[in-house]
Amino acid sequence: MVKVAHLIPLFPFLAFAVNIFFGRRLREASALISIIACGISAVLSLVVFQGLQAGEGSYSLGTWLFLNGKPLNFGVTVDALSVMMLLVVTVVATLIKIYSVGYMHGDLRYSRYFAYISLFTASMLGLVLADNFVMLYIFWEGVGLCSYLLIAFWFERPAAAKAGLKAFITTRIGDTGLLIGILLLLFSTQTLYFSELKNIAGDDWILTLAAILIFMGAVGKSAQFPLHVWLPDAMEGPTAVSALIHAATMVAAGVYLVARTYALFILHPLCLEIVALIGGISALLAASIATVNNDIKRVLAYSTISQLGLMMLGLGVGGYAAGTFHLMTHAFFKALLFLCAGSVIHSVHTQDIQKMGGLLSKMKVTGATFIIGTLAIAGVPPLSGFWSKDEILTAAWHNGSPVLFWLAVATSFLTAFYMARLIFLVLFGKPRSEMHPSESPKTMTVPLIILAVFAVFAGFIGSPLMHHAFQEFINEGHGGEVVASGFVIGLSIAVSLAGIGLAYLFYVLNNKIVPSGIRAQFAWLHQLLLNKYYIDEIYDAVFVRPCMRFCDFLFKFDAVVVDGLVNGAGAAVRAVSQVLRWVQTGLVQNYLLVQVLGVILFVLTLLGKLCFRF
Amino acid sequence: MIPLGFFIAISAVMFCIGIFGVLTRRNAIAVLMSIELILNAANINLVAFNKYLGTPDGLGQIFALFVIAIAAAASVVGLVLIIAIYRHGKSVFVDEYNLMKW
Amino acid sequence: MADIIFYIIALSTCLFAFLTVASRDVFHSAVWLSLTLLSVAAIYFYLDAQFLGVIQVLVYIGGIITLFIFAIKLTAKIGDKTIQQANEQALLSGLAAFVFFIILFKMIALHPWAELQPQAPVFSLEDIGKSMLTTYVLPFEFLSLLLLAAMVGAIVIGKVRK
Repeated sequence: MVKVAHLIPLFPFLAFAVNIFFGRRLREASALISIIACGISAVLSLVVFQGLQAGEGSYSLGTWLFLNGKPLNFGVTVDALSVMMLLVVTVVATLIKIYSVGYMHGDLRYSRYFAYISLFTASMLGLVLADNFVMLYIFWEGVGLCSYLLIAFWFERPAAAKAGLKAFITTRIGDTGLLIGILLLLFSTQTLYFSELKNIAGDDWILTLAAILIFMGAVGKSAQFPLHVWLPDAMEGPTAVSALIHAATMVAAGVYLVARTYALFILHPLCLEIVALIGGISALLAASIATVNNDIKRVLAYSTISQLGLMMLGLGVGGYAAGTFHLMTHAFFKALLFLCAGSVIHSVHTQDIQKMGGLLSKMKVTGATFIIGTLAIAGVPPLSGFWSKDEILTAAWHNGSPVLFWLAVATSFLTAFYMARLIFLVLFGKPRSEMHPSESPKTMTVPLIILAVFAVFAGFIGSPLMHHAFQEFINEGHGGEVVASGFVIGLSIAVSLAGIGLAYLFYVLNNKIVPSGIRAQFAWLHQLLLNKYYIDEIYDAVFVRPCMRFCDFLFKFDAVVVDGLVNGAGAAVRAVSQVLRWVQTGLVQNYLLVQVLGVILFVLTLLGKLCFRF
Repeated sequence: MIPLGFFIAISAVMFCIGIFGVLTRRNAIAVLMSIELILNAANINLVAFNKYLGTPDGLGQIFALFVIAIAAAASVVGLVLIIAIYRHGKSVFVDEYNLMKW
Repeated sequence: MADIIFYIIALSTCLFAFLTVASRDVFHSAVWLSLTLLSVAAIYFYLDAQFLGVIQVLVYIGGIITLFIFAIKLTAKIGDKTIQQANEQALLSGLAAFVFFIILFKMIALHPWAELQPQAPVFSLEDIGKSMLTTYVLPFEFLSLLLLAAMVGAIVIGKVRK
């Protein structure tokens, strides 16, 4: 029953087509169509999962085109990785669409929203199922487009429009690398199939370069340092979108890409080192920024960058199963956290955590699920985040350098700290501003509860309690089961609890928004973090402004030189025409005379010698 | 007998006079007349060559007949056009119509 | 004797042609044109093309010249002798026509015409009629179509619009 896999992206796409063309007439029904389509995809994903368990695998729908004489098929990848992604994407997307019914209620472009998000789901599923780089690239751009459309969904707001542009341009830098990488790969290995990557041998420098360029695409999409700047700004979009695209699925596509082409990265240790290092830097950098940010969504956005960095680190240190496991658990608890944040924002109409406080008593379901999500991401056992983070730490401990391991540990600590800070400031204490919070509608809370269940229990399938069933599955029967050492587990739990404890000390016992004493002591650090390491400013000064100046110059060049040439040509023609105008008398006999003179000249040229012998 | 060259010379004279008329006469009807002169010059050529070169089925004469018929058709249409223009602009002087100028 | 007749016809053709384009009065022009055409008909007779000569007289002098005179009379006032009949480019046009004639004449003079002798007519009027309806039936039919089109066109153009 694996052969239904190609239908999975088809249903959301149909929902997109229906919604985009008939959305105005459908109104509220557009959400229903979208949800049903996504639900069918989820069921089909389960069917495919069953088929995979029964031993079926990838298949092809026929030849698409020929590259260098070799056929390129419409292939459908059905393996552990893609099925895992299918399940995560369809389940999370369905829940988030249900949530959106409540969240987007009354929006001006309600049906358009569901059209875009359906198109996104279709593209994402297509990306997961692609069996070659060309199809992957097409869907890769498809999700990028939807991301842009949805970030700039409220395009009336200049910030949203600008954020959409920023996201599009920033990811484009990575995508260009990806495209060049794909072409290099085609050039050197003559193949674009993922399945054939395993057969490549040798550490040709072109292959290393191709792997690094492909990783560049992943860096852009997964918002890793140095291309991470777009993700925090992407929070201008609807929160449900942030949850689906900018937390759970699309940004994970970069991690998925690295996992999918893992065979290429193993070829040369340099590639893996770069992946791990970029991941580690991103993880720590983003986590540290998250500790001081006051925007509830931006904290989560930096948290996403940080967690994606951890996944990259996990992949980079050889923890293929660990990285993908964290990808799965993260999808659930980060979607949950974003949806909780959305529920809070929906209720109090602000994103500033300095103005919140004491919401737990007013919003019990949201509050409870928020706490569950926080504990999950902080790595408190036995929630899902603990198991997957533990896997990454173990992988780093066993294979990576100490630097990478301690980067991961520091990130874990900071994660626990800023997440605890977030819930202490939002849910506990006293309200710090005038607000009238109330619990969100059922369409929003039910998905929260379901996701909370996933956030709690999704980790068990990869835990020693279930004999690392996930790792077995993702490695397709073989592959090492890394035994976690007691030291790593202990350290992991310790830093999680320490982070939460420190936050409790700072924000509950002191009951202050910002601990003033420490803030005074580390003013420079606080400023640095608050300004996000000035990376945006640096990019602005180094890339954006010179580029703008260059564009200004080009504009002036166009206005003066190019337009001058064009207008000058026109003016010259006019001037000459004014002179030549007298030739055109409008009198037939004038024209005839000229014609006759012409004939005389013609005859003289041809026969002059014959007649006159000159 | 008169050599062929003489006929052709007459034809040439008529032709050039016709051209002169076409180029100079202001009256559109006179221009049409000049065109008739040109056509007749051509016809003389056709008939003379037919006589001197000899074609079994009298091709030259048949050709001349066609020319006469076409000339008749042309002058009919031309004259009607002139009358229509005259009705429109109250003039048949060619140099008073410079509508072809932009 | 025949030669002298030819020279007279030739001279009169050229003269009448010249008067056609030279006379100030358009009506006079029409008269001179009819004489020119008559002279051309005479040339046709001289060249043993009697049928063509008759057609020339019938169609041209009987038909076209009549039409010209009608047109002249319909566009009445232009017969006025005070109106200038030649345009400003007369001099240049005359020069062009003259140069063109010189070129033609030079080329005619270069050719050894004496080698060609007139041939006895090997075809009769009947032959012309037959070949017109057999060998040349297609152009003949096209011609009839053309005449029809010209007639319809003339009626349409000449119709007075209300």
